[in-house]
Amino acid sequence: MFNYIVSQLVNGVTLGGMYALIALGYTLVYGILLMINFAHSEMFMSGGYIGLGVLNLLSNKAVQAAVVARLPFLAFLQSARTFFTGSTIGMILMLLIVFGISAVLTGCLGMLTERFAYRPLRNAPRLCPLISALGISIFLQNAALLWIDNSIPFPSLLPTRDFGFGITPIRIFIIVTSLILLFVLDRFVSTTRIGKAMRATSQDQDAAGLMGIDINSVIALTFFIGPALGAVAGIFSGMYYGVVTYNMGFFPGIKSFTAAVLGGIGNLRGAMLGGFMLGIIEALASGFISSGYKDVIAFVILIIVLIFRPGGLLGESVVEKV
Amino acid sequence: MKKSMKFVLLALVVLAAAALVIGCGGKSDSASTEGDTTTGKTTLTIGMGGPLTQGDVAFGQGAQRAVQLAVEDANKLPEVTELGIEFKTLDGDDQSEAEKGVTAANSFVSDRSLVGVVGHFNSTVSIAASKVYNENNVTAISYGSTNPDLTKQGFKTIFRTCATDDYQGPTGADDAIKLGFKKVAIIDDSSPYGQGLVAEFEKKFKELGGEVTSKQSTQQKQNDFTAVVTKIKSERPDFVYFGGTYAADTGAGALLTKQLKEGGVSVPVMGGDGLYAADYISEAGEASEGDLATCPGMPVELLPQGQAFADAYKAKFPGKDIAAFDAYAYDAAQALIKAVVKVAQENGADKVTSPAGKEAIQAAVAASSFDGVTGPIAFDENGDNTNRVITLYKVVDGAWVAQEL
Amino acid sequence: MTTERDNINSEAPSLAADLLPAAKPMFKKQRGSKTSPLKVILLVILALALIAAPIIFQGFGQLLLIRIFAIVGLYIILAMGLNIVVGYAGLLDFGRMAFYAFGAYAAMLIGVPLAQALGPQLGGWAYVVSLVGGAIVSSLVGFLLSLPVMRLRGDYLAIVTLGFGEIVRICLQNNFLGLSNGAQGLPRTGQTLPAPPGLDWLKMNVYFPINDRFVIEFSSNVYWYYIILILLVVAIIVVRRQDNSRLGRSWAALREDEVAAAAMGVNTTRAKTWAFVLGALWGGVAGATFSYFQMVASPETFNFFNSVLVLAIVVIGGMGSIPGVIVGALAIQGIPEFIRWFAQNFLSGAASGIDKTVSNYRNLILGLLMVVMMAIRPAGLIPSKRIKREIHGAGGSDGSTRVEGDVLVNGVPAGIEGATPGGGEGA
Repeated sequence: MFNYIVSQLVNGVTLGGMYALIALGYTLVYGILLMINFAHSEMFMSGGYIGLGVLNLLSNKAVQAAVVARLPFLAFLQSARTFFTGSTIGMILMLLIVFGISAVLTGCLGMLTERFAYRPLRNAPRLCPLISALGISIFLQNAALLWIDNSIPFPSLLPTRDFGFGITPIRIFIIVTSLILLFVLDRFVSTTRIGKAMRATSQDQDAAGLMGIDINSVIALTFFIGPALGAVAGIFSGMYYGVVTYNMGFFPGIKSFTAAVLGGIGNLRGAMLGGFMLGIIEALASGFISSGYKDVIAFVILIIVLIFRPGGLLGESVVEKV
Repeated sequence: MKKSMKFVLLALVVLAAAALVIGCGGKSDSASTEGDTTTGKTTLTIGMGGPLTQGDVAFGQGAQRAVQLAVEDANKLPEVTELGIEFKTLDGDDQSEAEKGVTAANSFVSDRSLVGVVGHFNSTVSIAASKVYNENNVTAISYGSTNPDLTKQGFKTIFRTCATDDYQGPTGADDAIKLGFKKVAIIDDSSPYGQGLVAEFEKKFKELGGEVTSKQSTQQKQNDFTAVVTKIKSERPDFVYFGGTYAADTGAGALLTKQLKEGGVSVPVMGGDGLYAADYISEAGEASEGDLATCPGMPVELLPQGQAFADAYKAKFPGKDIAAFDAYAYDAAQALIKAVVKVAQENGADKVTSPAGKEAIQAAVAASSFDGVTGPIAFDENGDNTNRVITLYKVVDGAWVAQEL
Repeated sequence: MTTERDNINSEAPSLAADLLPAAKPMFKKQRGSKTSPLKVILLVILALALIAAPIIFQGFGQLLLIRIFAIVGLYIILAMGLNIVVGYAGLLDFGRMAFYAFGAYAAMLIGVPLAQALGPQLGGWAYVVSLVGGAIVSSLVGFLLSLPVMRLRGDYLAIVTLGFGEIVRICLQNNFLGLSNGAQGLPRTGQTLPAPPGLDWLKMNVYFPINDRFVIEFSSNVYWYYIILILLVVAIIVVRRQDNSRLGRSWAALREDEVAAAAMGVNTTRAKTWAFVLGALWGGVAGATFSYFQMVASPETFNFFNSVLVLAIVVIGGMGSIPGVIVGALAIQGIPEFIRWFAQNFLSGAASGIDKTVSNYRNLILGLLMVVMMAIRPAGLIPSKRIKREIHGAGGSDGSTRVEGDVLVNGVPAGIEGATPGGGEGA
């Protein structure tokens, strides 16, 4: 029984690590623009697709052959393949490249959506960017479906062995990497100059502007960081579940948004806490109560938390100003 | 008041535009029929409903190809050309969702030249759409919906060529016992197909003395099965029975088997026809090795006309694999075409689409009796195919192989 | 021109003043005072066109078009319910489909046994009872939901409604309490819904072939089109009257500034509860009708994505505006279906596959259109005259959720607030 509980906790923490990474994207944007970025779940999806694309370019013989046939100057990839797939160092390097390129490209995609879909609406009523984001989400999902494929298998890169309690290399990798990223982001926002600028912007945009902070770059940066973290989670999801699909972002998106609210939206540590909590609740609910009702249990807990703490776990309750 | 005035005007413009478009539509249609009369041809449409862009696309697109093949074959037949008939297909993409299926069904029945529908695949969709077909007196032959309820609704217009889950589920249980399995963990995918299939399986498996360690269900379109896997691992079953389809984007079979094997549950997954697709193996990779699936019908190579069908299919669609229900879709189209030809011979080609013609098509389909690709085709009083063969398949070296037990 | 300008000018003071209960007479006077004959004529033509449309479509065999219009009609009713909650009262709701689901399932659970009890002669009238039942059940649920969430605002309310919607859908899918029949939905196999009153008679007796290609006849699609049209007209009249009532003005006050409204004597709890109940009522009406029209109620219809689409209808149309909701529903629900219909009818003869391509791209186009529409008309296609200000966020007009420490602090950016200086836009 003990074994079983710990195994379920491991499942929950792994899932929670991914939720936390995605939830950060929601909470960052919300903190600064007070906007629920519905397109964020598609950043997660895009990250998975781009990551798989890069991975296949580096390690898949058939894909390389097809690409080189069209773009001969990429022929060097074919010779690098044995290095990437053959040795441990090559493998680590390949993972770094995959995550790096995917995070940067997805971050740029996030900045693009901000520039063209949200910035023109910055002074519009609050629900406008929400609907615009929804439009982007629909667009990106259909673009992936129509222009790429509805689902593509993701090769398993790490060895499958169980260290006990269901602790496998992939789970260690996901948990450790997400904890590192969460720690780095937390330090980044609380100690660096740019982080300060971000906090200042979220407190009072106009005042921050008057203090010489370039609001537009801060917002653009926010829209880079969030999607980049989402992309990392997207590749995790691909590696962990073994597939990327055009609609893979939908449920993790809802759950992570829930996690962000659970922790107190706009609050970075709240998003992390909420993400891990939600993952664990889901795993335990599924393992001990009913796999069919696991989401019901998660949402019921969320509603109860919000009724007793209307600002989320780490957020302060709303102050009414009279 | 200005705003509302504008709005009223706008509404009128929209309606006028719609009317205009319809008018043009009518005109272009009549133009084509006039053109047809000069060449003496009557174009008749066969609807092809299934998941074409989303959902279980392997079964939808495969059937789409099979129906196209059947229609092209039919158009070459001398009795069809003599009657001056030309068949064409109309696609209806239901995306494996009931509501989209009802919309597709309505678009089919909107077509004046429609003689019948081959479809749909998912049981939810077929059941929802069947009400539309029944109301509009359109004959619909499902090629892949195995939930028994579809033909138990008392609709005279609904048929199917594949065998149902009240045969498939128990056969699966039988085969599992024969393979020496005693303990099973059951999972369904919260779809009517999955829930129906596991119910039939469970009943028979318990009857035969098997033990069910747990019953769980997964949510549609979700891909995290790790908690389910951990639970199954703690129960140590001999195999896992999954009621659902293969497709990863609907959160199902391929993902489950992959996560089971990676989670250290190295027992085979067994399922129904929904798993029996080449995509299941390509999406799950090595994890699918040793998995089992029951499926109505026999392997194409073993069918009486199977080789001819496979050759024609491969010639027409090079590089495409034949999916599990393609032969059934071909037979469904054949049943429909044969019925239409019969009605046209008796009443004249121009009367086929009249209300009386539609009734005659139903009667003719109900009286079908011919040797199809999948074996002899004939329908019982419910509209189910009387030929109910179920075959067990196993993944061996990355391909489905039929098993003799 | 001058009269119109007068109208706009006369609105400015009333806008500012309608925060106060005393503003009542100004609104009363404005309403219905001028109805130009041209407008009456246009309205009559529009009404005639709406009545004639399904007969014409049916005549040409375009059942899909009737269906598209009927579904759009249902979504208009649904979105008008949401409009009360979001557009009038300013409460963000992401779980609209839950009320639709309650209406649909209640109608099935009431209607099927009732129809059996009434027998074949009267069974059709079960729809009427189901409609009322669906509306009542749905309103009750709205009332119950409003109790715990009274304290929540803005986006916290949004996530609770989202969670509520998902809870309802998943419970339905898991055959909650054995009522909902799992994923297959209701009615159960073997149970059938009787035809609604008069449909069989109409089908038998209305059949007038004009020529080979055009037949005036009646089908269930036409029947439900008319039922939905009637419900729609009723809904528009009721919601319009509500908007101009005391309750409607307290919603406006609530939306603008909850604290100020409470200070001016508006009972905000009561106003919010009514917004939830009345919003849910229309959801129930639409849901009950939907289940009879579709002849089935199954859980996957009531998903989160559809809830958000209803919200998109309200926002794209123009919050708090009835014509806006109508146009929004036509855009969001109508455009993808019209694209499909167009491709199927006009492109199928063209080069191979183009019709399929166009019809597959319909959602992609919808997504792009949503972005473009918001960029061009952020206030909606037909903005409400009363709402010239945006909905305020998480904390009313102030909205500061202050979190101390080294974490991000969340407050309404002044840039967003500053967009609406003092509500003087009307002038």
